[in-house]
Amino acid sequence: MAVSSVTVSVEPVLESKIQEVKLDGQEIYVPPLSMSENLTKLAHKIDFYKDESDEKGKPTSEGEKDEAEEKVLTSFEQPSWVWDSVRNKLKAAFTEMAVLTDVLNIIKEKRYMVADPVSQDQPDNKPSVLLLAKKRGLVSAGSVLISGAERLKRSHSEHSNRAQDDYFIELLKIRQNWRLKKVGASILGDLTYKTAGSRFFQGGTFEVTKIVDDKTDTSTSHSRGSLEVIIPSELEGVAYIQVEVKSVPEMMDLTSVTLKMPAGLGVIRSDAYWQNKLEVAQNVLFCKELFAQLAREAVQIKSSTPHIVVGNQIITNAFPGIQLSIVLCHYTGKEKKIPQAPQKLEHNHVLEHSLHQLLREVHFKNINYVAPHPVNAMLGMSKRRRLAGPQGTSRRELVEMNVRDTLLEQIIKQTKHAVLRLRTMHVLDELALCIQDPQITAHWSCLNSSLECCVRINITAYGYEVVRSSLVLIIEVDTIQAILKDSRTITLSFEDKALQDLILWQISQHHIQVVQQLAKFHAWTVVSTNFNVGVGDIDLYGTAASLMMASPKGDKVLAFRSGAYNKIQMYLKEIDPSEAVDTSPAVTNPKWQKIIGTFQAVDVEKLQGKTFSQKVDMVMAKLTSMS
Amino acid sequence: MENTFSVGLKNNIAPQQEYLLQGSIVDLHRDVLLHRLRGLCDNADKQPETFSDHEMVFVLRGATAQQNPVLFRVRRSLDPPDDPSWHIRYLGTSEIGDKNRHTLVRACFDVACSNNVVKFLNEMGFRSDHEYCVKGYFFHKGRMKVTVSKIYRMVQTGTPDGNTQEAMTQSSLVELSVVAPAGQEQIADDMKNFAEQLKPLVQLEKVDQKRLSVQ
Repeated sequence: MAVSSVTVSVEPVLESKIQEVKLDGQEIYVPPLSMSENLTKLAHKIDFYKDESDEKGKPTSEGEKDEAEEKVLTSFEQPSWVWDSVRNKLKAAFTEMAVLTDVLNIIKEKRYMVADPVSQDQPDNKPSVLLLAKKRGLVSAGSVLISGAERLKRSHSEHSNRAQDDYFIELLKIRQNWRLKKVGASILGDLTYKTAGSRFFQGGTFEVTKIVDDKTDTSTSHSRGSLEVIIPSELEGVAYIQVEVKSVPEMMDLTSVTLKMPAGLGVIRSDAYWQNKLEVAQNVLFCKELFAQLAREAVQIKSSTPHIVVGNQIITNAFPGIQLSIVLCHYTGKEKKIPQAPQKLEHNHVLEHSLHQLLREVHFKNINYVAPHPVNAMLGMSKRRRLAGPQGTSRRELVEMNVRDTLLEQIIKQTKHAVLRLRTMHVLDELALCIQDPQITAHWSCLNSSLECCVRINITAYGYEVVRSSLVLIIEVDTIQAILKDSRTITLSFEDKALQDLILWQISQHHIQVVQQLAKFHAWTVVSTNFNVGVGDIDLYGTAASLMMASPKGDKVLAFRSGAYNKIQMYLKEIDPSEAVDTSPAVTNPKWQKIIGTFQAVDVEKLQGKTFSQKVDMVMAKLTSMS
Repeated sequence: MENTFSVGLKNNIAPQQEYLLQGSIVDLHRDVLLHRLRGLCDNADKQPETFSDHEMVFVLRGATAQQNPVLFRVRRSLDPPDDPSWHIRYLGTSEIGDKNRHTLVRACFDVACSNNVVKFLNEMGFRSDHEYCVKGYFFHKGRMKVTVSKIYRMVQTGTPDGNTQEAMTQSSLVELSVVAPAGQEQIADDMKNFAEQLKPLVQLEKVDQKRLSVQ
């Protein structure tokens, strides 16, 4: 049957492999191999190292051999099949080694073969080229060294000039001492005390510039340095505050005060060193602030004594008759030359220093806040103020906490204290000079403040220092507190006389105390003492003291009375036994004889002895009879 | 809720506002910041002041589920150990969103109180919400207060000791605040200028408290 055959074709797959798929989906095919490529691929597949006897296609010269031989061969070679390839390889290697040995032997004989090295090109050893290269190397090294030397020379010449170097070193120094800021192209600095707490409106900005002048000779440029500071015009010159305390006639009106022109102090040179210039300018600013503050307070604050502000002076009365004047002397050098003799300036340096300190304290309080604990609390209040709420502080206490003395009030207080202290010293010294009889010594305490000081006065009799009267004076702002021996406290006013009275009174009391002591020595009996005698004339000050004592035998009685302003009076009563009055027999005790008699005054002046206590001592000794 | 100002005014408490900027700095670099602040602020020649406080936050929730419970911050100083000063602070809600204001502004009432305040608040119905300790350094420039502090969590409640605290973070909180009467815009500008000077070290900015709180 003839069935139409289905053609079956066998074809290789003509699809080429995909080499790469691009990102956009395009496929790149491996290009199909060309003929030569195909051939090489097949050739690579042939393994030339396989044994030829493996191939079925043997050369036909040996093809007629019996198959039996073949079989025999094949069966014979089968056990050594594995080592066959090894054997052949070794054989080949041996052949090659033999060939190599032969060749080497032939070369050694040098008859048929000679081994020649491969010739190389000789380098051209031309000396001129070498020379050129060395020269170039030396030139470049030389140029490097020359450039370095030139730089050194230039800097050395600059050093000797010193202008540029100095400027930067000076700038460093000025930066260490003052606050500088670069604004645009200029360098500005700050003279004010703002960072220390000042709230003064006036600014103090100075400018730092470089001195650029090459024509000046070295002598002047050395003294100037290479830095210049330009100070604002209102701070030019020299200023200081002068405080003066003087006594004026009491009836003088405050409005007719004498104004003083500030005496000329030297003005700072324009080519002075910048540090001096800046310090002087800062001082001017400080003095201005101080005076402005004082003037403002003098005008605004209502106080019992009026203050007068005239121009650059503040005048006020500390005590009636004592005037305090504070003057701001600012000498800018632009004033007309007044031909006057240089005035002798009377400064009270202590008060001036105090003023400076007080202003600094104000600054300090402005900046230094007590740290709030806990941190959330309000800044700027003291701890006591913060706890005012929880602790229930009263309104009065709150007001007291907030009230603070102004600068002017503080300085007036200090002035008053200084004046009072001086007066007290004066009084004590005068009394000590005048009164020789009991000695007055004053011991001033070394612990004192600007508003309070303390002195202890001792009254002793020469030779009888066992008895000592002492009193303590505490000198405050405008009163003196006196603490007596028996701890009574008396407040004295600022008048001299009050103190004098007090001391004289104490002296009078001291006399009586000395006599009391003497009575002990002589074994006299003190009949009575009284420090506040209520009989007799009234004393000008204080009370009189009296004492009555009797001799050991009872026949002599001495009586004393002393007061502050009266001379001490002494009376003596002697009992003459011959004047015995007829006694009645009822009186048996002889002591009743002793009450009779009259006192007679004794003139103390005429007694022997330098001091009163010596005199009394002598009298008592004489009057004491041992019989 | 009524304006906190009017409430305060009615009851004679001085109405004040707190202007606040906050930032933080890693502990490693805290010393650099301290040095910088020492130079910028007042009293550069003194050692910076340290402080150590213990703060307890009390909450009063209303009868109904109100939106905003009242928060009282009770703070006491631990520095003098036997003499703590107690302090209550109430902070109102802050208005953020105003681009012209550089700082966070909120009403602030500060009251000093006695040492039985905890008992008092408990009796009034406040409940203690949380507490922590703050320790750090304090600077001031004019009326601006700058604090660099670390917050410590209390391991055991009660008396805070050194060994019952642990630090919460490895960084310190930096706060710049001014408490002043209401309505002064100049303060915000001054604060911003000051914050600019600390710029690369620490960035002080206003932080929205509402976004931070987890309800």
